[in-house]
Amino acid sequence: MTTAPAATRPAGNPTQLRITRSTSASRITSGVLLAVGVGLFAVPTLFGTNAVVQLTSLFIYMILAVMWNALAGYGGMVSVGQQAFIGFGAYATIWLTQHGVSPFPAMVLAAVSAAVLAALVALLVLQLKGGQLAVGTWVIAEALGLLIVLDTGLGGGTGISLQGLNSYTPELRHAYIYWLTLTFLLAILGALFLLLRLKTGAALQAIRDDEEAAASLGVRVRPLKFGIFVLAGFGCGAAGALILANTLFIQPQSIFGVQYSAYMIFMVLVGGLGTFEGPILGAIIFFVAQQQFADQGAWYLIGLGAVAVLFALFLPRGLWTVVSDRLPVQLPLGYRLSTSHPSMKEQHG
Amino acid sequence: MTPSDKAELWTPSRRGLIRSGLGMAGLVAAGPVLSACSVKGDDPGGGSGQTIKIGFVSPRTGAAAAFGEPDAYVLGLARDVLGKGLTIGGKKYDVQVIDKDGQSDPQRGAQVANDLINADRVDLMLTTSTPETVNPVSDACEAAGVPCISTVVPWEAWYFGRGAKPTDTKAFKYVYHFCFGVQQFANAYTTMWPQVSTNQKVGVMWPNDADGNAVRTSLGPLLQKAGYSIVDPGAYTNGTNDYSSQIAKFKAENSEIFNTFPLPPDFATFWQQAAQQGYQPKIVQVAKTGLFASQVEALGALGVGVAGAAYWTPTYPYTSSLTGISSKELGAGYQKKTGKQWTQQLGPSLALFDAAAAALKAAPDPKDKGAVATAISTLAVQTPVGNLQWGKGPNGNVVATPILGGQWTAAKSGKYPLDFVLCESSSDPNVPVAAQLQPYRA
Repeated sequence: MTTAPAATRPAGNPTQLRITRSTSASRITSGVLLAVGVGLFAVPTLFGTNAVVQLTSLFIYMILAVMWNALAGYGGMVSVGQQAFIGFGAYATIWLTQHGVSPFPAMVLAAVSAAVLAALVALLVLQLKGGQLAVGTWVIAEALGLLIVLDTGLGGGTGISLQGLNSYTPELRHAYIYWLTLTFLLAILGALFLLLRLKTGAALQAIRDDEEAAASLGVRVRPLKFGIFVLAGFGCGAAGALILANTLFIQPQSIFGVQYSAYMIFMVLVGGLGTFEGPILGAIIFFVAQQQFADQGAWYLIGLGAVAVLFALFLPRGLWTVVSDRLPVQLPLGYRLSTSHPSMKEQHG
Repeated sequence: MTPSDKAELWTPSRRGLIRSGLGMAGLVAAGPVLSACSVKGDDPGGGSGQTIKIGFVSPRTGAAAAFGEPDAYVLGLARDVLGKGLTIGGKKYDVQVIDKDGQSDPQRGAQVANDLINADRVDLMLTTSTPETVNPVSDACEAAGVPCISTVVPWEAWYFGRGAKPTDTKAFKYVYHFCFGVQQFANAYTTMWPQVSTNQKVGVMWPNDADGNAVRTSLGPLLQKAGYSIVDPGAYTNGTNDYSSQIAKFKAENSEIFNTFPLPPDFATFWQQAAQQGYQPKIVQVAKTGLFASQVEALGALGVGVAGAAYWTPTYPYTSSLTGISSKELGAGYQKKTGKQWTQQLGPSLALFDAAAAALKAAPDPKDKGAVATAISTLAVQTPVGNLQWGKGPNGNVVATPILGGQWTAAKSGKYPLDFVLCESSSDPNVPVAAQLQPYRA
């Protein structure tokens, strides 16, 4: 896939080829990043509510971007219906709190139930390919939104407020939501990291590059796609529950709105489709753009669209590939072919 | 939003934090090991002890953008006065108003409200126009303990739509509301409709959304009690493209009165289809859309004669207590400054600032959020929409204000094609009535 500068230079026969997965530099980097991730749990004890709330929003966007990238970037499933699981996660949280579950366990259960829904939906949706899959997932999201609109117990079209969080002080409430968001994000990134690091990683990357060729080589495409779809359902369900916790009020037209798919596509496209780090970068870019330009109204939305189009045309692999080509170390996810022969460049993919 | 507000969002420590967010890549899950640690509270005041900050959230873009159209003008009027500061308890405070666009979307509305609460540290929140913006902002304020005054959502949709029970006398501690309710609609309709002779059959198109559901459960029975029979084809979903079945039902039942609470694009679709399919009631009573001349003009000839209702017009005999501007001057000033026709949003938006200033002055300490909230609960204030007085019902959080029936007519003079004339003032007899309701396309 990508060409990378030398990470290691094994000595010996000039024509000898070696496959390496990690170097000491990349292992150290991973360790440092892991420490940073764990260290982020300390943010609510060190910074004020604003930093906590803003980072919570950012992490929710990261979860969404990472999940859409897993679907489209690795699984080859271009879904524009992930808002089905976002809305389902949010409304499942409401439903559970109405039935006596306290809000935070309800959010975890809602994410799990979104994964169950995804498993059921996958049986239908994975029969579809390409554009059909995109339309199919969207139809499911719209249908689910309409069902909620008809349910007066869940507020119907009026929308509904999440009760039960008022018993916490605002600082503690924001801190708990932050910790839960960070836990979800790290869990999802961890799961994806393992999927890519294990044998499934090579299979996923083969599916990403060409699904039919991968199948012909003996890659078991269906179970992998199923697993990715369920994982994405879980992640989007978690994001929905967290969006609800962050905003306390939802309406079906908004939480099942297709704008979430647009945001996800934007983040992944700008960050880097089919890369581990790209969607995280994309989420940060989207978050900053929203902070800086959202007050421009319609022009902000036009700008977002224009940026997405420009990236699709001129930098289809996203911003991360530009960054990663210049980075001396990479995460130990791919396979590197290394040789000291000057005419051959190292391969990473 | 001023440049300095933006700068505050991006303190160096935040940048560092975000950058460290990059380091999230490739990490395995870690339990909330630090959850036992104490959580840091916010520094009180943030070094702005002498400055009172007021947040203002309204829909400036999106489906409800028409509501936010005169905001810039009203904000200008309010800032002119508040910019000179407020003297409260012998102490002079600077006042800063920070306005944000809720984009007609609940999630965005909540997000900007949280930004105002946590980043700008507003002392008081104001919000207006449609449940999609007002309800999430009110929820964010109630949860964060920030006093909030809101308007232009039928109060039932605001109060019950956010979880209050009919038995609650005061469901919320920090959020307060002034707006018309279903009773005021019923007053307006039952006073105005007899001005045209009909068979008293009302065809209704009430959507499945916050307003529509509130109207269906509360307005329907009131109209029936007044002797009208309701022809209800059932709640429709916003964004429906084909209304043939509803139109057929209205024609079959010969509903000579038609009433709807739609989104503007839905009404345009419905009304064109009704015209094509030959449904022409004698009274076309619309609410929620048809509030503004621009929306009615967009219907072309079909819009003339549509009856509506107004929560403020330039003929209201009231004056803003904060700015000293009368209703007449407010409407004329807006038309002069912008070249656009007055809209009824001008009144309640300015009233929000009247109420805000009065609440801050009534509290012993305007920086004490609990004290400001308590002050609002018994506040009495003069505004362009009338005298607001909290604590007199319908419940502890709400003042019910009038909405008066009227009709869009072709303007007899002036630069604007349409004119809104009041046909009744049952909910506030101080407001002069200009004309009788005329049958649609008589």
